[in-house]
Amino acid sequence: MSTIGHKTWPKLTSPDEFRFLADLVLKHSTGDHTFVSLQDQQSGTTRFANNQIVQNVDTRRGSLSVTVAFGRRHGTAVTTDFTAGAVQETVNRATQIAHLSPDDPEYLPPVKSQPYLTLPTTRGETAAAGPARRLEYTNEAIGQCRMENLGAAGIVSSSITTVGVAANTGLFAHEERTDARFSLTAQAGEATGWGAAAHRSIDHLRVQERTLAAIDKAKRGLEVRELPPGRYTVILEPAAVAGLWSSLLWALDAKSYEKGTSAFSGKLGQSIVDKRLTLRNLPTHEDLLGIGFTTEGLPTMVSDWITEGTLTQLTYDRFTAKGRGIDKIPTLDAPCLSGKGPFLPTLQELIKSTERAILVTNFWYIRAVNPTDLTLTGMTRDGTFLVENGAIVSAVKNFRFHESPLRVFNRIASFTNPAEAITSETGKLLVPAMILHDFHFSSVTRF
Amino acid sequence: MPGHPIPHQDELAELALKRVVASGAEYGDIRLLDSTTQTIRGEDRRIASIREAQDRGFGVRVLYHGAWGFAASSVLSLEEVPRVADLAIEIAKGSASLASEKVKLADEPVHRDRVVTARRIDPFAVALENKSALLLETMESVHRQPGIVRSSASLWARRDRKLFVSTEGSHLEFDLLALSGDFDATAVHDGRFASRSFNTPHLRTGYELIEDAHFLAEAPRIASEAVEKVKAPTTEPGLYDLVLDPEHLSLMMHESCGHPSELDRALGYEANYAGTSFLTTEKRGTFRYGSPHVSLVADNCEPETLAATGYDDDGVACQQWDIVRDGIFVGYCTNREVAPKIGATRSHGSNRADSWGSVPIVRIANIGLEPGAATLDELLADVKQGIYIEGHGSYSIDQRRYNFQFGGDAFWLIEKGKRTHMVRDVVYHGITPEFWSSCDGIADRSHRRRYGFITCGKGQPSQSGWMTHAASHARFRNVNVIGGQAGS
Repeated sequence: MSTIGHKTWPKLTSPDEFRFLADLVLKHSTGDHTFVSLQDQQSGTTRFANNQIVQNVDTRRGSLSVTVAFGRRHGTAVTTDFTAGAVQETVNRATQIAHLSPDDPEYLPPVKSQPYLTLPTTRGETAAAGPARRLEYTNEAIGQCRMENLGAAGIVSSSITTVGVAANTGLFAHEERTDARFSLTAQAGEATGWGAAAHRSIDHLRVQERTLAAIDKAKRGLEVRELPPGRYTVILEPAAVAGLWSSLLWALDAKSYEKGTSAFSGKLGQSIVDKRLTLRNLPTHEDLLGIGFTTEGLPTMVSDWITEGTLTQLTYDRFTAKGRGIDKIPTLDAPCLSGKGPFLPTLQELIKSTERAILVTNFWYIRAVNPTDLTLTGMTRDGTFLVENGAIVSAVKNFRFHESPLRVFNRIASFTNPAEAITSETGKLLVPAMILHDFHFSSVTRF
Repeated sequence: MPGHPIPHQDELAELALKRVVASGAEYGDIRLLDSTTQTIRGEDRRIASIREAQDRGFGVRVLYHGAWGFAASSVLSLEEVPRVADLAIEIAKGSASLASEKVKLADEPVHRDRVVTARRIDPFAVALENKSALLLETMESVHRQPGIVRSSASLWARRDRKLFVSTEGSHLEFDLLALSGDFDATAVHDGRFASRSFNTPHLRTGYELIEDAHFLAEAPRIASEAVEKVKAPTTEPGLYDLVLDPEHLSLMMHESCGHPSELDRALGYEANYAGTSFLTTEKRGTFRYGSPHVSLVADNCEPETLAATGYDDDGVACQQWDIVRDGIFVGYCTNREVAPKIGATRSHGSNRADSWGSVPIVRIANIGLEPGAATLDELLADVKQGIYIEGHGSYSIDQRRYNFQFGGDAFWLIEKGKRTHMVRDVVYHGITPEFWSSCDGIADRSHRRRYGFITCGKGQPSQSGWMTHAASHARFRNVNVIGGQAGS
């Protein structure tokens, strides 16, 4: 049964209840194949700005999706109503859609029963957290900023989700997942500093540490100078590295690769980044947000994606994988990028080792400019500094970059051990902070 | 699914609001929403999925001692509604414990009304097999063009049946439609690939929008232009005059005018996510945002547009107002909470939530560029060296909305007053007020087109905002065009 602890929260759909719902769907369906998926979530977010709460919300949302197939014709219907009548109506609608659909040459029946990794996806302390716990962290972040006469804007959120998949092939899986997040922008007039965290455990958000770091950045930003656009050595904090890597990972689609519409086409087995870099999927890592199975019921797994700079894996849909004879499809739910060889232990050591560079806290609004060579653009945000002779000497106005990760990650000077990274535009990754040479900032903004 | 109404919705609303009033809260409202979304998605000459989703639930918003609480649930029952209402009250009381500045809502008359989207053809009544056939035929047509390797095509329709009831006595019923369709073609050449897309606007209307878009007539042109685009020469970086089409301008207006004119951003509410605004409150009424040619008007009353829902999620009646008049910044998008903070006595009615489970926040209105007097040919005729840009491509802008970099979907060189041939990899860069100050010509009303957005991200948890932006073609002088490759 559910581990939900907050007194005002209802129980989410338990494994037994999901099995009951799935059996109801499967019994009612006349399709050759029927696939059921569940997402039932209780989530809450306390949002603050200008040192007070501006939004404080709690939402319970359950959703049941049914896909019915006749041969290669398939249809999907979704409902948020779990009553028996509504579930049967959903099966009927999926059935109607399937009957009216044309053959899909890429349709594959649902997978059969699968073995899954047993992962610690649920943490009791997060499941038990409610508005009061979020308020406690909010108070802490605002209080620290107030003491420094700064403004605080940010969020504390927590959620618990039950996820399930089932099919008439024997597939059945159910998993509970918790998620807790904190992010803060400390404001000193025009200057801002930022920090963020996401973890299965609300106890691991390190609110105080991250608040103090954001405050430090905001205070350092009071004196700001403008540097011209151009090519700079940069020190990218983990969040900035994650922003560039997320864009790279999204472009690994195998079907696009095979059609010649991918920046990676023809590069499988070739070196694409510095040979010291290795990217692996580590769903068992306790600081990542690994999951036991995908939305299709495929098992997640430890897998290698880039090995010592060489691209070794692509993201496969089931049809493309079948065409390639790939039986077990690697997943990328918990990416970890690491460097081989000598490294510096901390970001501070990277700074100390640098003669002159731009230190970037985070990138914002990263978008593809040219998908052929994976050229991206975006802005620095919430803490951009000039480093000289091993120390931060001033804040600088924010730059726009115009670069490809396939180029910049071949210009690595040094790096740290992987660290937790998450931004508003990325999922969670473990990545090092890095020093990169010859990074192209194409323009400067007004602040 | 259609035909399965929200149970006892007035009873549920009364049950929730009675508890809110009894708690001593100064304000409360409930939204009960039953949404049906149908998506048909084609890819590479096949129908990849047909999906119909019903999303039903309710959200209760409470203002207690000047602080907000909100709770929501997809369980519509007589047991769940009191639980959720009590939770919203409890959360509001928690917020109040940290409230240094109390929220005071701008006054709004009590409204009792019903709003229904006018439609000639109900999109949910159109046979699915006809919709699939249209997409399949469109993709087949695209693939007849040599050089095309990939295609996609989709249709999207949404019906929202909503009840809004407030403790002030407003009672508003909605039956709203929205739909859109699109397709694209991707060509490869010499190791490169490029796509060209065709989009109907997102509008609140019936399936006639799709029928009038003539996918099958447009498909050969889109495919041909995709091939021309991938083979086109690159441009030399430098200063160019740009003539931008209405679809391209819709995104430019959205990013560089719409977002900075959201008052909650200007007041710092979005500092941790979507960002703040260079249009700070002291600039209102005096700041030169653009040239005297530029007037940007918010109009949430124009029929068929996405934000024209009759009333917003504060229960405020939709309105029309100026954002920029003759180049001067004059107005914001507001809700009942933030409007009083700049001395306004009434909200402009731009408070919207993307579902029953989300709390309403300030959203961009239907902001449009007022037409000028020229024809498109006249705009082009006065350009010695320039680029004509259609559609949406890459776009990025800083969090205060100053520094932007935009691409597009298709580009043509303008030489000696004439569109000549396509070019590729065009990206231009600018600073918002400088860019709009370089506007020296806008085409007349006959060129005006509307394009809508349903994926405008803002808020934490992130919500998708819906709005429509209309424009005629416009010309901008001496804009910095850079190459679309790394290091340009």
